[in-house]
Amino acid sequence: MVKFLKMLSISVREGTATRKYPFESPLVTPEFRGKIEVDPVKCVGCGACTRICPPKALTLSYENNEATLKYFVGRCIFCGMCAYVCPQKAITISKEFELATWELEDLYDETTHTTVKCRICGKPFTTVKFANEIRRRIENKVPEDLLNVCPECRKKLATRKIGSRVVGVSGE
Amino acid sequence: MSNVISELIEELSRGPRSRAVLSRVFSVCGDSILDLSRRGTTIKMVIKPGCLRAALENIYKEHDLYFRTMAASDERFKEGLTKLYYVFGIDSEGTNIVFEVPVVNGIKVDTISDLFRASDWYELEAHDLLGVEFNGRPLRRLVLPEDWPEELYPLRKDVSVDDVKKVYQPQVVSRISELGVEEVVRIPVGPYHPALHEPEYFELYVRGEKVVDAKYVGFMVHRGIEKLAESMKYDQVPFLAERICGICGFVHSTSYVQAVEDALEIEVPERAHFIRSIVLEVERLHSHLLWLGVALHLLGYDTGFMHAWRIREKVMVLAELLTGSRKTYGIDLVGGVKKDIDKDKIPKVKETLSLLKKEFKELVEVAISVPQVKARLTGTGILPRGEARAYSLVGPTVRGSGLARDVRKDYTYAAYHYVSFKVPVYTEGDNLARTLVRVDEVFESISIIEQLIDMLPSGPIRAEKWEPQPMRLGIGAVEAPRGEVVHVVLTDLYGPYRWRVRAPTYQNLQAVPIMLRGVDLADAPLTIASIDPCFSCTDRAIIINLRSGSINTLPIEVISRRVSKDG
Repeated sequence: MVKFLKMLSISVREGTATRKYPFESPLVTPEFRGKIEVDPVKCVGCGACTRICPPKALTLSYENNEATLKYFVGRCIFCGMCAYVCPQKAITISKEFELATWELEDLYDETTHTTVKCRICGKPFTTVKFANEIRRRIENKVPEDLLNVCPECRKKLATRKIGSRVVGVSGE
Repeated sequence: MSNVISELIEELSRGPRSRAVLSRVFSVCGDSILDLSRRGTTIKMVIKPGCLRAALENIYKEHDLYFRTMAASDERFKEGLTKLYYVFGIDSEGTNIVFEVPVVNGIKVDTISDLFRASDWYELEAHDLLGVEFNGRPLRRLVLPEDWPEELYPLRKDVSVDDVKKVYQPQVVSRISELGVEEVVRIPVGPYHPALHEPEYFELYVRGEKVVDAKYVGFMVHRGIEKLAESMKYDQVPFLAERICGICGFVHSTSYVQAVEDALEIEVPERAHFIRSIVLEVERLHSHLLWLGVALHLLGYDTGFMHAWRIREKVMVLAELLTGSRKTYGIDLVGGVKKDIDKDKIPKVKETLSLLKKEFKELVEVAISVPQVKARLTGTGILPRGEARAYSLVGPTVRGSGLARDVRKDYTYAAYHYVSFKVPVYTEGDNLARTLVRVDEVFESISIIEQLIDMLPSGPIRAEKWEPQPMRLGIGAVEAPRGEVVHVVLTDLYGPYRWRVRAPTYQNLQAVPIMLRGVDLADAPLTIASIDPCFSCTDRAIIINLRSGSINTLPIEVISRRVSKDG
């Protein structure tokens, strides 16, 4: 009948379950996924992470001849997909989770890259590091004059080249 | 019936039960069946809307045929019409029978809600969101608010989110002054009143101490998660799906990826199947421990609640160790998983499980033997077996009423066919039965994880390559802690074209008024909680909660406080 009193002995055995965080270390395992960190040296600004990021916490924008990879931790869901897809292994997942702040700017991390301007229209269209990485990967198999042309101008260029071959109209 | 048709039925059926169903359908609708095909365990029949009802009238008495879900999809820009996909299951064969009903704009479909009562909400939802008209039943607003503009069907492909924003602004503010609620706080649990654990609203009609009837009001704000997914890529949706439920999110992401894998016939490596099963069972453990704690709390036995949650914490830490996060595990991807279970974690898993087994046994023995707990669980909230069947209920709710429905056995998925486990069934149908089902399931889950971890095969954890193809139908089902989750996916080139989520509470909630009739007011909170309801996942939305202050409209937490105060 008094079986439920057994709970007392369990309570005595287990003691206090609550941790005295923040005075004690928090209960975080080595596998915990927290805030991400972008290594500015390894990052080439290709934007793969911005395309997979489910909540769009990572964005890549071109402004004033600079490409900026912006990480807004306020939107981040800590899924780690960016690190999973990063071809340069530039993104690491830290264990940091104490992210509350008074300043909104503290929630932004930015990585800037210098850009390559299109030699025809003058619009910045990719980063210097990404262009170099492409050169390295394709081992200079593509003529250099094509690498410095933005996708839109490249299309026009290709059309003209085909045109010149067919009807003999000279390109450019 | 001609020989050609009999041969076709013979070839496509997966056993005597599906053969019987198909023959019966053909006997009444021979000419109205436009196509019949089978892929894996799914038999699909394209049937003219005029004959759907006649077909179902002829088969609804088949004893193990049950209504799993219905997905309505706007395909006017692909094929010029809207389509309804009715998914029925034959438990004993693990067969899905899909009735694909093409509906030309303006045509009314005969209701089946009197044959399969569970289809009531599905029809109302299709009417609300896509403008499908049904004959022979009253149509009312279910999902959309009462002040939603006429003729604006938000799930149609030609309605953009911006259109909706322009046309509709929720009239929250006027409602507040009408009701005299003192403050508005816009936080994600509900703009009206944030004091509850979960957004929900029941109206209980009470005579004396007895509940005579109950009404559930939900779907007050529909978040439109299905629409959102249409703009996302295949591998982004699992993370969205995981956020449907705050407790059992992994079942949704797994269900979604399984539906895509089914549609695109992606072969998933064995090891990924094992990892998914292990994590799903870890999730069931924490969910059942959470539920038990909440149930004891609602009974006023807070000591039991504290200890249930103390034990649960060990499972949460284990989940983080295995996946990287306590709750939103984030490891499901189409074609596999993205995080492996390393060898050096296995001892820790085993150690946690054996500790868990010992401590949980100790807790349950003590907690269930508390005389007040036992007395209030026994004989309250009775759900008869017949009603449980008629409403196509799922999960521990149906298993507490004597039906052994369990997706893990009936429509096996992931790695469950490698392990041996029991499906606990109790026949009493009361709150105690549903509690004991969950208690037994905790021990079964522990045993399942132990078996899986010992058999974990080596190899890759994700399919290397897969090609998306447009307009393929896939069904993914998972036994969530609270019952069956069914996702239906229609594929497109970059992401899902249409994604239909059916959470277990969507099915189970419709039976709560039956369970509530005749119980004491004091037992109402526990009875509502006994289906382990998950309101957010049912609505896939944020619900606005009203606190009207009137005596017969009380939120669950207020009732339970009142109970613990009064005795």
